[in-house]
Amino acid sequence: MSVEQHEVQDILTQYDQDRDNLIPLLQDVQERLHYLSPQALSAVAEHLQLSENDVFGVATFYAQFRFTPPGLHHIKVCEGTACHVRGSSRILDTITRTTGIEPGQTSEDGLFSLERVACFGSCALAPVVVVDDKVYGRMTSAKTQRLIEEKK
Amino acid sequence: MGSFSLIIDGQTVEVEEGATVLQAARRAGISIPTICDHKDLNPYGACRMCVVEIEGVRGYPTSCTTPAAAGMRVTTQSERLSTLRNRTLELMFSGHPNSCLVCVHREACEQHRPTATKAARSTRCGFCANREECDLRAMALSAGQPELSLPTMYAAYNLERDDPFMDRDYNLCVLCGRCWRICEKIHGKPAISIINRGKWARIGTAFNKSHVFSGCTFCGACIDICPTGTLTDRFARWQGKPEAETGSACILCPQGCAVVAQSKNQRLLAYTMPAFNRDASLCALGRFGAAQMVNSNQRTTRPQVREGEDLIPYDWDAALKAAATGLKEHAGKIAFVISATSSREERYLYAQLATALKGQMHLVPAHALPGDPTLTTIQEAIHGQGALALLMNGPLLGGVEQSRMAFSLVIDALHSDSSEQASVVLPAAMLSENSGTFRSSTGEIRQLSACSQAPGDARAEWRILRDLGQTLGLDGFSYTKVEDITRAMDNAVGEDAAPPAMTGDPRHNVRELITTYRGHQVADIVPALAAFGLPQRSMIQEESTAGSDNGFPILEKKEIVPNMHFFKIQAPQVAKFALPGQFVILMARETSERSPFTLVDWDADTGTISLVIEEVGRSSRELASLRAGDMLAHVSGPLGQAMPVEKRGTVLLGGGCYGVGAIYPLARALKQAGNRVICGIEASSSYLLYMQDELTQVSDQLILATKDGSEGVRGGVQEILVQTAEREQVDQFIAIGCTFMMRMTTELSRGLNIPTLVALNPIMVDGTGMCGACRVSIGGDTLFACIDGPLFDGHAVDWDELASRRSAYAPQEIQALSQGVDLSALMHQAHGPTDTHQCGCGR
Ligand code: SF4
Ligand code: SF4
Ligand code: SF4
Ligand code: FES
Ligand code: FES
Repeated sequence: MSVEQHEVQDILTQYDQDRDNLIPLLQDVQERLHYLSPQALSAVAEHLQLSENDVFGVATFYAQFRFTPPGLHHIKVCEGTACHVRGSSRILDTITRTTGIEPGQTSEDGLFSLERVACFGSCALAPVVVVDDKVYGRMTSAKTQRLIEEKK
Repeated sequence: MGSFSLIIDGQTVEVEEGATVLQAARRAGISIPTICDHKDLNPYGACRMCVVEIEGVRGYPTSCTTPAAAGMRVTTQSERLSTLRNRTLELMFSGHPNSCLVCVHREACEQHRPTATKAARSTRCGFCANREECDLRAMALSAGQPELSLPTMYAAYNLERDDPFMDRDYNLCVLCGRCWRICEKIHGKPAISIINRGKWARIGTAFNKSHVFSGCTFCGACIDICPTGTLTDRFARWQGKPEAETGSACILCPQGCAVVAQSKNQRLLAYTMPAFNRDASLCALGRFGAAQMVNSNQRTTRPQVREGEDLIPYDWDAALKAAATGLKEHAGKIAFVISATSSREERYLYAQLATALKGQMHLVPAHALPGDPTLTTIQEAIHGQGALALLMNGPLLGGVEQSRMAFSLVIDALHSDSSEQASVVLPAAMLSENSGTFRSSTGEIRQLSACSQAPGDARAEWRILRDLGQTLGLDGFSYTKVEDITRAMDNAVGEDAAPPAMTGDPRHNVRELITTYRGHQVADIVPALAAFGLPQRSMIQEESTAGSDNGFPILEKKEIVPNMHFFKIQAPQVAKFALPGQFVILMARETSERSPFTLVDWDADTGTISLVIEEVGRSSRELASLRAGDMLAHVSGPLGQAMPVEKRGTVLLGGGCYGVGAIYPLARALKQAGNRVICGIEASSSYLLYMQDELTQVSDQLILATKDGSEGVRGGVQEILVQTAEREQVDQFIAIGCTFMMRMTTELSRGLNIPTLVALNPIMVDGTGMCGACRVSIGGDTLFACIDGPLFDGHAVDWDELASRRSAYAPQEIQALSQGVDLSALMHQAHGPTDTHQCGCGR
C-alpha cells in the first residue's frame, strides 16, 4: 500500500458505511491529499458501496473539490460580478495562454494550477487574482503575465 | 388496493391507488407530452414538459410525479400550459442543434438531402443519426414551426468513441436522466452518472474514463431508452429506424437470452433487450456483436468442393452429392463434432444422420478452448473409433485432427482454417437467419425466429441436413418446415439434454465474455472485442505509416468548428504547382481509400498546403483522427482544372460546409485580377461559421447567413444570392458546398441570368474509389469531375443524375462507417485509465 492509500484507509475507518457520509468523507480526503485522486475516489465508493461514477458525479457538483494535485503555485481567478465586469475573463485567458492550463488543471511541470472562484470580497480591487493566498488587485493582462513570469 | 376517480379535462377517470396524474390521463387516452418519463422508470420530474393545472393546487405541477387523488380536477391543455411547454422545449433546444427545425429550406432539404452526410457530431437536427426515432424532434415538429428566440449555445463536446461499440454525442443530451436511471435500475451501480454542475453538467463517468473501464457491461439499455440521438450503437447508427422487431433468442452462448431482433431490409441491425430489467439484460456480445457477426465479410456464401489442392465453388445439388458420397464411403467411421450452440432441431438431425451412418456424436461445449479437457476426451474417442471421416459445424477440432481424415465436411456460416482444409464446405445461415428452438443451459426452451436473410447461397442448417439426408437416400428426412422437425423430436426423444453451462457471467461482467463461437474466436470476427482482452488470432498491428518517417508531415491540425478540420501539410510538389480551384487526393495510410479535397491555400516557398476537411465519412474520419506531427501516406496533386481567372466585374462566391474554405483561393485570385469580390458563406448556426477573417482579407464584402438566423442573413447562400442580385449587378456566381446548396442556388441564378460555376468534387464519394463515382453529365456530355472538373457550368449539370449516383453508394458507405472502429485509441487506453502513457508510444 502506498502512503496515499494508507492515508485514505485511515480516513475510511472513521466512517460508517452510510451514504450520508459521502460529502464529509470526500472533504476529509481532500484535506489530507489536497485533491481527490482516482484511487482515493474509488476507495471511497467501495467503502460506501456506491458506484464510483455516482461519487464522481456528486463530487463534481461541488466547486470545493479538485481532481488534479495542486501545482507549486496555486492561482485563483475571481469571477465575481465586479471582477467579471472589469475583465476577469481576459485575465483568465492570459493565464491560460502563459501557463498552458485551463481552470481545474495543473501544468505538466507541476508549477501552476488554476482555479475559478466566485468572489473574494475584495471587489474594490477588481479584477483580483490570488496566488498562493496572496491577493493581487487591479490586474491587467500585462501585470498578470509579469506575475507569472516571476513565479516561474 | 382500492380505486377511485378523478376528473381530467372534464372526463371522469377511474384509477388504482398509487397511479400518477400522468398515468391516469394516459388511461383515459389523454396524451401529455413527456421527455424524462418512461414507463419502466420511476418518476423523475426533470424536464417539466408534463406540467398540468390542478384545481386548488398552486402553480403547474408535473403530472409524472404527482399522485392522482380522489376528486382531483386536472386540466392538461390550456393556453398557459402550451406556453409553458413551448418555453421548456425552447430552453432544451437552446443548447441543442436545432437549425433544421427552423430552417427556411427544410422542405427542399428533406427532398434533396444528401444521403451520404454522415457527420461525426450532429450539428444539424435533420442530419442526426436518430432523427427518425427522436422524441424531442417529434415533439418540436408537432409543436409547429417553433420560434426559437433564445440565443444558441453549443457545448462543443467531442464525440465520445473510445469504446468498441458506442458513439456518444453529448451535445445532443437534454439531461432527462433516462440513461443513468435505467443503468442503475438494471445494474445497481450505474456505469454513468450526471457529472459536473451548472452549464457543464452532463452525463459521464468517473474521471471521464472510457466505458471499457467504468463498469459498463454494454447491455445497450441506455441507447435504447435515450429519447434523443445522444447515445448510439456505432454499427446501427446510420441505418435508420428498424423496420421490424422480432422476438427471438441469441444463441451465441448456451444462456440463450431472449432478445428483440431489430432488422431492416432483411438485415440484422441489433439484438436488443426484450424488457428494461436486470433479468432481461444482454451481454456485449449479444447486444453489439451479433449484428456485426451476421453482417461480417467473413461469411461463407457458396458451397465448395475440393478438387486436388483447390476448393471449387459448386452448386448446391452437386455439393450435396459430393458430401453424401464422401460420408457414405466412410459409413461406420464418421465422427460428428457438433457445437453446443446449435438449435435443438439441428442437433436432432445431426443425431439422426449419425445413427443412420453409424457415426459417433460429440457435443463441444460453447466455451471450450483448444486444450480443454472435453476436447481432449473427444479427440481420444475419435482415435479409439478409428474415424476416417469428420463432420463439423465450425472449426471445433484442431487442424491436425482434421488432416488425418480421409474426408471432412464442414457446415458453417463463417470462414475458417477448417473450411479451408475441408473436402466439402456447405455455407450455413446463422443466428438471426435461423428459425427453430433452443434449449438453454438452464433448461428452458426458447423460440428462434428468423428476421434476416442469409448472404449468398447460404441456407438454414436444418435444410442442409435434411437435403443431405435425402441425398443419402435416408428415411425420415422429408420435413418441409422447421416446425416439422420440432414436432418429430418432441414425439421421439422426449426431453433432450441441455447444453453444458458456460463459466462466467458476461451479462454482468464484460470481462467474462465468451471468447469463442462454434470454434471461431469471436474477436477475429468482431475485432473491437480485443478491447476487453479477448484473444485474437492476429493482434492488430500498429500501422506502419502513422508516425513513421515516410510520407507527408502534418504541420498543423485543428478542429476549427465541429466536424470541420483544418490541416497544414508539408507537400512541396503540390505547393509549387497549385492553382486556384485545384484539389489533392489524400490517403491517411497505405491501406486507406483515396479521397479528394480542395486546396484552400498553399505556399511554394515553405512547401506547405492547407486544407479544410469535413468529417462526414470513413476516410475523412480517419484523417480527422490524425494529429500534428503525424504523417499522411500520400498526397497527390494538384489535380483537376484550375479556375480561369479573368476580370468579370462583380463576382459572388457562395460557400457552405467545406466550401467556405474552398472559395478562399478563388476569391483571392479573382480579387487580384481586379474583380469586385463578394463572399457569401452559410452555416446552420453561428457556432459553425469559420474563416471570416481570412475571407474578409481577400474580398470586398463578406456576407454571412445562418439557417437559424443566429448571425447574419436568415437562410443560406440562396438568400445571399437573391439579396445581392437585388442590390447590384452580379456578373459571375460561383458556388461550392453540399450538392443541395449548389443545386438550389443554380436554379436561382438561372432565373437571374447569372453565369454560374459549381465545384463537383464532393461527388467523388469517399469509400468507393473515385473513378466510377465522379462521372457527371454536363450539357449532355459525360465528363469526369476529377479530370475535367471540379468546376463546371452549373446550369448544364444534370442534378437528378448526380443525386441518384450519390445515393447509390450510400449503403456501402454506411457499411464502411459502421465497421470503421478506431481501435488504436482503445489500445492506448488498454493499460488502464490513469496511466495512459505507459505503453511507450509517446501519445
Ligand atoms: S437528437 Fe433528435 S432533436 Fe436532436 S438532433 Fe437528433 S433528431 Fe434532432
Ligand atoms: S450500456 Fe448498459 S451498462 Fe453500459 S452505460 Fe448503458 S445501460 Fe449502463
Ligand atoms: S444521454 Fe439521452 S437518456 Fe441520457 S440524459 Fe441525455 S438525452 Fe437523456
Ligand atoms: S415527464 Fe414529467 S417532468 Fe419530465
Ligand atoms: S433543413 Fe436543415 S440545413 Fe436545410
